[in-house]
Amino acid sequence: MSDSCDVFKEKTNIIGLEKPEFPVDVGEMYEGERIRKPDMYVEFGGMNVERKWELVLTRPIEEIEDGKITVIGPDIQEMNPGGSYPIGILVEVAGEKVEKDLEGVLERRIHYFTNYIEGVMHLNQRYDVWIRISKRSYQKGLNSLVWIGKILAWLYKSSFPVIEKIQITIYTDKEKVEELFPIAMEVWSKRDVRARTLKDEEVNEFYACVMCQSFAPSHICVITPNRIGSCGSISWFDARAAYNVDPKGPNFPIPKGECIDPIKGVYEGINKVAHEKSLGAIKSISLYSMFDNPHTSCGCFEGIAFYIPEVDGIGIVHRDYKGSTVNGLTFSSMAGHTSGGTQNPGFNGIAIEYLRSPKFLQADGGWERVVWMPSQIKERVKDSIPEHLRDKIATEVECKSIGELKEFLKSKQHPVVSQWKVEEVVKAEEEVEEEVEEKVQEAVLPAQAPTIEIPGQGGIRIILKNVKITAEKVIIKREKK
Amino acid sequence: MATKLSINELKSSFANIKGLELLIGKIIEEEWDEIVGPTPYPSIIDLRAWDHRLLNRYEPFYSPLCDMCCLCTFGKCDLTKGKKGSCGIDIKSQQGKIVLIACLMGAACHATHARHLLDYLIKRKGRDYPIHLGEEIDLEAPLTRLVAGIKPKKLGDLEEVLDYIEKQITHLLSATATGQEANYIDFESKALHAGMIDNLALEVADIAQISALRFPKGDPEAPLVDLGMGVVDKSKPVILCIGHNVAPGSEIINYLEKEGIYGSVEVAGICCTAHDLTRYSTGAKIVGPLSRQLIFVRSGVADVMVLDEECIRTDIIEEAKKVGTRVIVTTDQLCANLPDMTKSPVDLIVKEIASGNTPAVFINNPAKVGEVAVKVALEIAPSRRASTISEEKEILNAVLRCRACGRCRRNCPADLPIDDAVSAARDKNLDLLAQIYDRCLNCARCESDCPEHIPIVSAIRVAAMEKIRNEKYKVRSGRGPIKDTEIRNVGRSIVMGEIPGVIAFVGCANYPNGNKELVEMADEFAKRRYIVLASGCSAMDIARYKDEDGQTLYEKYAGDFDAGCIVNTGSCVSNAHIMGAAVKIANIFAKRKLRGNFEEIADYILNRIGAVAIAWGAQHQKAAAIATGANRLGIPVILGPQGAKFRRAFLGRQDKKEKWMVYNARTGEKVYAGPAPEHLLYVAETKEEAMVTAARLVMRPNDTSKGRMIKLSHYIDLHQKLYGMIPDDFHLFVRNESDLPITMKDQLLKILKERKWEPVEIPDPTLLERQIVRME
Repeated sequence: MSDSCDVFKEKTNIIGLEKPEFPVDVGEMYEGERIRKPDMYVEFGGMNVERKWELVLTRPIEEIEDGKITVIGPDIQEMNPGGSYPIGILVEVAGEKVEKDLEGVLERRIHYFTNYIEGVMHLNQRYDVWIRISKRSYQKGLNSLVWIGKILAWLYKSSFPVIEKIQITIYTDKEKVEELFPIAMEVWSKRDVRARTLKDEEVNEFYACVMCQSFAPSHICVITPNRIGSCGSISWFDARAAYNVDPKGPNFPIPKGECIDPIKGVYEGINKVAHEKSLGAIKSISLYSMFDNPHTSCGCFEGIAFYIPEVDGIGIVHRDYKGSTVNGLTFSSMAGHTSGGTQNPGFNGIAIEYLRSPKFLQADGGWERVVWMPSQIKERVKDSIPEHLRDKIATEVECKSIGELKEFLKSKQHPVVSQWKVEEVVKAEEEVEEEVEEKVQEAVLPAQAPTIEIPGQGGIRIILKNVKITAEKVIIKREKK
Repeated sequence: MATKLSINELKSSFANIKGLELLIGKIIEEEWDEIVGPTPYPSIIDLRAWDHRLLNRYEPFYSPLCDMCCLCTFGKCDLTKGKKGSCGIDIKSQQGKIVLIACLMGAACHATHARHLLDYLIKRKGRDYPIHLGEEIDLEAPLTRLVAGIKPKKLGDLEEVLDYIEKQITHLLSATATGQEANYIDFESKALHAGMIDNLALEVADIAQISALRFPKGDPEAPLVDLGMGVVDKSKPVILCIGHNVAPGSEIINYLEKEGIYGSVEVAGICCTAHDLTRYSTGAKIVGPLSRQLIFVRSGVADVMVLDEECIRTDIIEEAKKVGTRVIVTTDQLCANLPDMTKSPVDLIVKEIASGNTPAVFINNPAKVGEVAVKVALEIAPSRRASTISEEKEILNAVLRCRACGRCRRNCPADLPIDDAVSAARDKNLDLLAQIYDRCLNCARCESDCPEHIPIVSAIRVAAMEKIRNEKYKVRSGRGPIKDTEIRNVGRSIVMGEIPGVIAFVGCANYPNGNKELVEMADEFAKRRYIVLASGCSAMDIARYKDEDGQTLYEKYAGDFDAGCIVNTGSCVSNAHIMGAAVKIANIFAKRKLRGNFEEIADYILNRIGAVAIAWGAQHQKAAAIATGANRLGIPVILGPQGAKFRRAFLGRQDKKEKWMVYNARTGEKVYAGPAPEHLLYVAETKEEAMVTAARLVMRPNDTSKGRMIKLSHYIDLHQKLYGMIPDDFHLFVRNESDLPITMKDQLLKILKERKWEPVEIPDPTLLERQIVRME
């Protein structure tokens, strides 16, 4: 146990970049470490505790006392072994380049950083935090939350050089945790509103992500406020933060350049970068269309938007959906058309969060065109589906085949149905024509049949004598329709 | 199906035809529109250039077990000190030749196993029976697509793949005869070819049986089944299957089910056939890996023993006879001088066997084996149960003859303290013998060298009786392939540095210190959130240990192909799915074409996919073949100490910078990419060495900085924990500062400065010039 950690002393030493002495090890390799109940000393948050939260706020630089770690409420060594306690973690940061938009990005690092601590498990985020401290680490000296604060502060500063000052307050006092909760809620709600209402038109630059080029060399992700990376992990804010931290890294800004098509989302700047980074494979990208130069995918997209020609609608399927979708194909078989950095109109690798975007496939009709999706996903994005469409979009519960889907859409008067009528009329006309042609042929054929003279007309006569033709195998290829 | 059209004479206005014979060997309706790559069904020389590239970087390192050659009548030829044999061969080429022969033995085993299975399945289900591996697997046969260049849809489609495999084995074997291949590099190129052929045979066998026998199809939640010496219910009639070919075993279960008595007869297995029995039916039990064979058979628990092929002790029939266990051998690979009763009526065979007139027979018909085995077991079990006398006393009396000569220990491959244990037993202390049980590999070399003929293995069994009785574990039944969706699922995590790599535990049970080290390694890597895979005997041995909560690793970790999970792919032939997963990644993420496109995919895997196999107890020639196949595909393999006796390693040299140059596919420039992966085939002396080596070998030139950061953090941390220091070569794996783990950055930067480290670029790596993409 270290004597430098006095839990009753509010302020501790300023933390520099050098790795300080901690009672337990801290490292990336502890991420994902699980602590089971019998091995746990105490836990914070989780199912047994009603109130728990973690929050990162930016502050004016003069308001922060760098390296100050404060624990308000009982500390670990004053707790009952095996107990569950409320917790609130408030990380306040400042720096010239630390923008408010960085808060969300920094906040999610609490999860990773806490997990780097040997014998500490952290799950979830925001109001759903769950932290466990192992008996072993407690015995090794991790007996105060001040240590956790210190480690967090050190990791923040080493990972984000833009942070000039940091102070951390950890609340375990039940009333305090309760009291500050509404403030945190308000911050999150404002942040969400900003993230969801920020429009592509309102920013000067988009971001590229070439992380997946290590496996898919010709793929590049374009990340905009209205189009999160296809893997669902990197938002425009994340990409921007990553660029600020590591300007030579895999996320870099794309100057928008001239907007060539605001509906499809075609930008001169994007095309230029995509062309260059895909080594000429991609010439143009439409951010909001799955038909016209769709955005490419590597392989780890969360879902697929796929065209269903029979109903002229769009289906959505996510990676965890087992079994066949409404068109009889599985996620896997359609994913083959979607991945590998190629453009395949009619298939678009997407993140589930993109379904919430105001520009979600807007060039193709957006939600008005969506006809089928798994119930699990529908439930997840329910609030983002326009109200008048919610019961018009089928799931696997209602429809398992195209036939059933047609009936469903008709009965619900889905917007795509109005398009069919026009087409059906046209189709019907075509069919009549075809039939006429066939009849004509049938009528003529018998007359021609007895005299197969076609090849002979040019004066050619084939003579084969004692010929052997042997083929090991003959491969018959179907002509593409 | 062949098509023949003959026209004797035809006169018409447009043609006169006389004596026309049109013969078409096979008509294939082609539905796969992927263009055919450069090497469908590659010959021995088609991939030679790729092999030479690999062998130039990873030079063969030989450790001869024997420096003589005695393959022709000129021999023995002494090849030491630069001397040549009478045919002109030198020691390196001689070693290359022996390695090639070993790989061919392995490949031939798998090819024959695959052929036996396929013939059997086609007979039962027909050529048109579909190959189907479940809804989430579109890429059903990655290796077949890659090597053969076909997309198999029916069982019958696999026949031509086996034709090809058999032809390659013949040609390769021919090259080992006196007066053929001359240079070790080309012997190794041929060994790599044999390895690839082997891997292909594995896939053919497994996808055929998964499809036709309805094994789990990539199910992460494949059921947990019983494993251990103590799981067999001795009160019931017991049928024991040993080997690899599930056909006879599955027919035993079919017959029991048909008769409505499945459950009242125990069906258990040893070695891979046991894995496959549980994949066929969860009611079957696994006694254990190869290393449990002798000890279990000697226990006499089995009423009937059914042997198929591969890894069966040559003396096991004699051992079975001694304890009254009846024996049925079932394939052309093991006839054991037994009478062929394939064509005899069932009742007659049963009578012959049960009466003891002919206690061991050969029946080359799986369905008949099923019926006979069950009938014999039912008939003899009651009397065998009644007459089971304890031979314990006799065995322990034999121990008294020990004169402490120490030959048992000297002849033990694992150098176990048998002499001490037997001496202690002489003084009525059985504890040491019981301890040996855990590490004993059942080779019985101690016994055969004992001048007093003490049945040492039996003595170990008697001493460990209590342990054996309680040996009950759970193993997840072999799930077969990795789903396409799982591959997609982990892609992001690998790129983002959340999964440090894929570690596969493969191979046999010839461990230096028992199976516990294997369990510890698997546990450590799973805990560190690597994706852990297992197959064959290793998959069983991983289950043969319980933690303090009484759980095996299969109960502790989920069975998904994901961070911190442990996947049991299944038997030896299921190793194909480990290679297959790497191939799938190339196709799924980069849309690289697979069809007949081996070199490009191997280049992709070598440079991009952080997968490593650990064959901690590699013993059989099949393990040599599987590992060599993985090597050709760009997957490094670490062998346990006994693996040195495979005679050859493929080692890279950190100090030779010129060996680590790759093309940057985006610019065409040749750049230094660091020694990653450092070796292709490496022998580790200790568990600790194997672990740090595995953590080092998962690094690849394409790693993103986040990916490299997590790989480095584990490599450095493991090295610190196991050797007490930061590895002295870590700087070779740092391309730029972003690669450094944040939590060690300051410390490492200081060392980098001392070592005069300079940053290098992260290339889009390839060894193939044709992969350079030039902007139009």
